[in-house]
Amino acid sequence: MAADPVKVRLQSNDNAVIEVEKKVAERSLLIKNMLEDLGETAISQTIPIPNVTEPVLRKVIEWCEHHKEDPPPTNDDESDNRKKTTEIEEWDQKFMQVDQEMLFEIILASNYLDIKALLDVGCKTVANMIKGKSPEEIRKTFNITNDFTPEEEEQIRRENEWAEDR
Amino acid sequence: MATASARQGMPMPPAPNREDIGATWNYLQHGIDRIMVNLQDGMDLATYMGIYTAVHNFCTSQKAVGLGGPNMGSQAHRGGTDLPKVLDATSAKAFLFRVAHLLGEDLYKKLIEYLDNHMEGLCNKSIAHTDEALLAFYIKEWDRYTTAAKYIHHLFRYLNRHWVKREMDEGKKDTYDVYTLHLVRWRDKFFNVVVKKVMDAVLKLVEKQRNGETIEHNQIKQVVESFVSLGLDEHDASKSTLDTYRFHFEEPFVAATKEFYDAESKQFISENSVVEYMKKAETRLNEEEERVKMYLHNDITGPLRKACNEVLIANHKDVLRDEFQVLLNNNREDDMARMFNLLNRITDGLEPLRQKFEAHVRNAGLAAVTKVASDAEKLEPKVYVDALLEVHTQYQGLVKRAFHDEPEFTRSLDNACREFVNRNDICKAGSNKSPELLAKYTDVLLRKSGTGVEEAELDATLTQIMTVFKYIEDKDVFQKFYSRMLARRLVHSNSSSDDAETSMISKLKEACGFEYTNKLQRMFQDMQISKDLNNGYKEHTKGLSLDKPLDSSYSILGTSFWPLTPPNTQFNPPAEVQADLDRFGRYYKNKHDGRKLTWLWQLCKGEVRTGYCKSSKTPFTFQVSVYQMAILLMFNDKDVHSYEDILSNTGLNSETLDGALGILCKAKVVNLKPDGGKVGPNTTYHLNYDFKSKKIRVNLNIGTKTEQKQEEVETNKTIEEDRKLVLQSAIVRIMKARKKMKHSQLVSETITQIKSRFVPKVSDIKKCIEILLDKEYLERLEDDELGYLA
Repeated sequence: MAADPVKVRLQSNDNAVIEVEKKVAERSLLIKNMLEDLGETAISQTIPIPNVTEPVLRKVIEWCEHHKEDPPPTNDDESDNRKKTTEIEEWDQKFMQVDQEMLFEIILASNYLDIKALLDVGCKTVANMIKGKSPEEIRKTFNITNDFTPEEEEQIRRENEWAEDR
Repeated sequence: MATASARQGMPMPPAPNREDIGATWNYLQHGIDRIMVNLQDGMDLATYMGIYTAVHNFCTSQKAVGLGGPNMGSQAHRGGTDLPKVLDATSAKAFLFRVAHLLGEDLYKKLIEYLDNHMEGLCNKSIAHTDEALLAFYIKEWDRYTTAAKYIHHLFRYLNRHWVKREMDEGKKDTYDVYTLHLVRWRDKFFNVVVKKVMDAVLKLVEKQRNGETIEHNQIKQVVESFVSLGLDEHDASKSTLDTYRFHFEEPFVAATKEFYDAESKQFISENSVVEYMKKAETRLNEEEERVKMYLHNDITGPLRKACNEVLIANHKDVLRDEFQVLLNNNREDDMARMFNLLNRITDGLEPLRQKFEAHVRNAGLAAVTKVASDAEKLEPKVYVDALLEVHTQYQGLVKRAFHDEPEFTRSLDNACREFVNRNDICKAGSNKSPELLAKYTDVLLRKSGTGVEEAELDATLTQIMTVFKYIEDKDVFQKFYSRMLARRLVHSNSSSDDAETSMISKLKEACGFEYTNKLQRMFQDMQISKDLNNGYKEHTKGLSLDKPLDSSYSILGTSFWPLTPPNTQFNPPAEVQADLDRFGRYYKNKHDGRKLTWLWQLCKGEVRTGYCKSSKTPFTFQVSVYQMAILLMFNDKDVHSYEDILSNTGLNSETLDGALGILCKAKVVNLKPDGGKVGPNTTYHLNYDFKSKKIRVNLNIGTKTEQKQEEVETNKTIEEDRKLVLQSAIVRIMKARKKMKHSQLVSETITQIKSRFVPKVSDIKKCIEILLDKEYLERLEDDELGYLA
């Protein structure tokens, strides 16, 4: 068997220290780059993650654990297939069944930590929440106050008529 | 953190307010400074994360979106209706972070400002350094800078991912990812300022090395790498070009190289011999190739080689070429190889050498022939062919060893050989001499002789014969002589070996095709068939139980394949022979009805045994021609015969009889009376009972010199005749295919077809066309055209 996997310690902004496999932490390009730049000495130290709270960090790590064997993200993986679909694999769907607050925290954290795949999953989840809804329903979903006057609204509708489903 | 700041004397300020560019930049600058200047002191995780977070926080700050949770919607101003209808991950992301894209420009500009400032510092510091110290400075700073750039690139990754990416997607020029930005600023603000001085230092260093000093060439290697890294493609930052390197490094380097070698070569060649110069140039060229491998970029190989070739070789090519004749005369193979290698590097460098080489080989060949040709009449075929071969072998070796079998040199060799093989002192006597002598030499080799040549050696010699054969223009002459001599070897069964014969024929076939050797092969087959036929005949005669069978053997030779003609005399075979002859005739007719047998008496021979000699207890055996046999058998009846008796009895004409009798008299088998007379009418011949000989077997079947001469003349005569036929048939073949043709075109087409056999004379072709017009194979049409008449 291979030697025990190398571990690193991550510290959330509320001072919780979580130990994870180096490989798992390196799903974050931020951490991966940093370990590369700073070398061996960095591994023994605790890595501060100043922008993320413990519950969110744990959630993000859960995702990284599950996806640790995925092929590493390539630099310009903006291929159209990935971009144009809102399909989410089953495990990720279940993973994203959280309250809205947590959902947005995960999105922000993945953006900060530079975990592209997780960011995509988060954004797709939001996209699916919007899809097929009327403006009124969207407002309700995200708790948005309608501050258009009826005239303004009518004008916008006309301008966007081309995009309507008929 | 406390220890770190104590060491660096520059504590990190506290994490800044995310919205305050001033405070944020102040914080970042401290971090960047530490990376740029003090990276060797190490860096801690907290600082690293702090800088990254500061960049991130600044870019995601602003009152615009309170990206803080479910209440974000309340602040997303009028976010309800202008959402795109088609929603996916990207547009959702854009929706969530769209304001963030706009923030970053300030940071980017601050970074540029910082870098430019840093460059200015470098420029100022560089002034203090020159030469190797400057190189060391440049390399040290370059290493430090690029390492820092990699860090900063990672720390500013958030800026790269969003603001820079957006700018580049929108096609904004002059916006680069952070690492590339570092390179661009280095190039524009530092490199361009110091590049001249740096190159001066590099070139000085290289010159030192060329003058034999040892240098720290790793420095140059690193400078080259730096120059190459600065080759940024203005249109696509992810690609690199060599333009910067080529312009700033390659061009001055090549120019300096040219200057150096131009001066050196001119001086060297004025003080040393050409041979010494070639050695020098060779060394220098190798050194430059090594230099590229050791510390230059591969890209320079071509231009550098071109420059070296020009100043070291092309500029001195005339001097080099003038030396070639001297080298040839003295057979300086190594130096010739050196010259070949040098001139081979420049365009059209070798052509003058080839011309000189061709002329030299031709002259060498002609001289070699002249040396052996002092007495053309008595010239041994072997001596002649060996003389040709020696020259060929010598220069073929030279082409192989010094000129690497270069095809053009091989061609020059072939041209020269063709010249001296076909047009030399020997050929003055008659252009057919070369093929004739070659064929005769082959005959000597293939004939059974006392000097037993080893099988392997024989084949090697035959291969050499083929080398000369290749150059022979009149291949038809060779064929004529060869077939005559093969016929003789076969008929007299004195070939040294069947294997050698077949091997030679297959060599000729390979060189000239099936048609050329067809008859030769048929002659071979005839001999085989005759062998079987004789076995059958022997069986046949056994069955007849004759009381005095003749031990006979017959060869049946196909008229059209053998170059033989019927005898030019009448002949009555002796009765002893005639009986067997008739028997065989019947036997053959029985087997092959309708075939006509013509006896070639002049080729027949036999053995007779003496029973009358007093001097020896054991009887002598005479090997004789059938003519001589007929004469000798007459002495079974009585001891004296008159010339006239013999003439009428044998039926021979007097010319043939005189030859046959002459030898018998000379060998004292018979004695001519009156004493001292000449063979002819009014003489008598007495059987010599006192015949003496040291050998038991006496060969009396000797052709005379004049016979041989006559055969040669005849062969040459038939060549002319045959050529006419070959030409005519070629012309008819061409016309049959083309139907109509201009006269001049027909002549040249005929030449191309015939060339492989012999070189036809235009006048002969014209004569043949006339003959064909007379025979009405062809007709004259208008406008100098000829037509084919079926």
